[in-house]
Amino acid sequence: MFVDLVQNTLDGVMLGSAYALLALGFTLIFGVLRRANLSYGPAIMLGAYAATWVHLQFHAGFLALAAVTIVGAMLAGAYVERLCFAPHGRRSTSGDAAAVASMVGSFALWMQLEEIATLWLPKHLYSFPPLYDGPPLALGPFTLRVEYLAMLICAIAACFGLHRLLAQTRFGLAVRAIVDQADAARLAGINVPRVFMLVFALASALGGLAGYLIVAAHEQVTPMLGMWSTLKGIIAMMLGGLGSLPGAVVGALALGLIEAHSQWLLGPQYRDLIAYLVLFALLALRPAGLWAMLRRATGPTAA
Amino acid sequence: MSAPVLEIADVVTAYGKIEALKGVTLAVAEGSITCLLGPNGAGKTTLMMTTSGILKPRRGSIRFGGEEIAGRAPHDIVARGIALVPENRLVFPHMTVADNLAAGAYQRDDKTGIAEDVERMYGRFPRLKERATQEAGTLSGGEQQMLAVARALMSRPKLLLMDEPSLGLAPLIVEEIFRIIAELNRDGTTIFLVEQNAHMALKVAHHFYLIEQGRVTFSGSPGALAEDEVIRRAYLGSARQ
Repeated sequence: MFVDLVQNTLDGVMLGSAYALLALGFTLIFGVLRRANLSYGPAIMLGAYAATWVHLQFHAGFLALAAVTIVGAMLAGAYVERLCFAPHGRRSTSGDAAAVASMVGSFALWMQLEEIATLWLPKHLYSFPPLYDGPPLALGPFTLRVEYLAMLICAIAACFGLHRLLAQTRFGLAVRAIVDQADAARLAGINVPRVFMLVFALASALGGLAGYLIVAAHEQVTPMLGMWSTLKGIIAMMLGGLGSLPGAVVGALALGLIEAHSQWLLGPQYRDLIAYLVLFALLALRPAGLWAMLRRATGPTAA
Repeated sequence: MSAPVLEIADVVTAYGKIEALKGVTLAVAEGSITCLLGPNGAGKTTLMMTTSGILKPRRGSIRFGGEEIAGRAPHDIVARGIALVPENRLVFPHMTVADNLAAGAYQRDDKTGIAEDVERMYGRFPRLKERATQEAGTLSGGEQQMLAVARALMSRPKLLLMDEPSLGLAPLIVEEIFRIIAELNRDGTTIFLVEQNAHMALKVAHHFYLIEQGRVTFSGSPGALAEDEVIRRAYLGSARQ
């Protein structure tokens, strides 16, 4: 019983780190542009399809496949940004209408990207080479899959990297300024459309990395990867608190833990149901999200 | 009047179908303090936003140093040497005072020059130095106004636009702001300011424009402004001093 509990918690953290990578990218876009990019996952899926194609054609190694996934996701992301987000970002008095237009546009491109993927590689399912072919690591009575350990390491590295980027670089200063007061950022001479584009590229690269690690762990690619990635990114972000990067990580880990434990307790058919129930309960009771709750519980009282 | 550094000609800016500026023409002389007066809704802020590139004019010309800048992006206009201290200050509330200043110098890459300028700002505004690591949102209104001015100066502008710098501030703070405006001008910065407080503006400005319902209706020296019966009644109170 105790062994199971610990093992499930470990599994949850591992699953959560995959979600964390997805959620960081999604949250970066939402937090900076204040726009929900529904094509976030489908762009990742297209990157994974490009890698699958390279794998089928050339049997390339894992580094090449990871690079193709990331670059593919970035290219697809740039396409989405140019079409759905750049035209509306240029106006300073954008408002709700532009946000809705962007979101609906990104939904249309989601369908389009899925079509492209299925026209390119028409079978429903393609196998994908694993990152690591050996047995899982054994830690006493517990086991750890190497692929998920890689995700955890990448998620931690991404957190620290993003934190440093935002806190210490000129680009980070521009991002923080835009998030804080967009018109003032324009007046300070920050090229806001360009920063938006770079944020999109960065988010897509993170998503591409997450996508590669996930398909390499699942050892398969289907067009469903797109919707799955967007959903996990959104849910993790909403659990953690809208637009907050630490919140995204906390929400992703919570989602992983909820899924792992509910799967073990109730069976896999209940896994997503429980996750959505927790999300609804949280949104109803604590709409600010888990990160705000944690901060209130541990930190000094808010100013 | 020396050569104009900013020439605005027949500028029309509209929000949808409503024209806030209906063909504004004015000029700001190099080295001067030029003041734009006008009632609420006359188009003062719209003109500032249009000049700094946040709003695009529907037609007309804005020339800065002889070059056309109408419709250019704000970051391009900052790069050419115009900085706006916006209405209601618009500091970055969740960033530290130091980061606010750093953001003002965003387009510069001379690290030592930036560091020197930060020290210069702290010298001019000692309160900002005391609060360098504090979030700007925690500052008082007057301190935020100082910060907004300092942030704009960090881009080393040739022309400083100021949109109602005295708005909502206590009289003592207003006096300090105007003392700073005069100082900055003495150090060589051309200043184009929007102000409701005509009494204070009269003490520092070299030239006045009045804008009403999107059109310039008066242009003249402080003396001419004080002589104008209608303006005096509307902006300086009726009693002649």
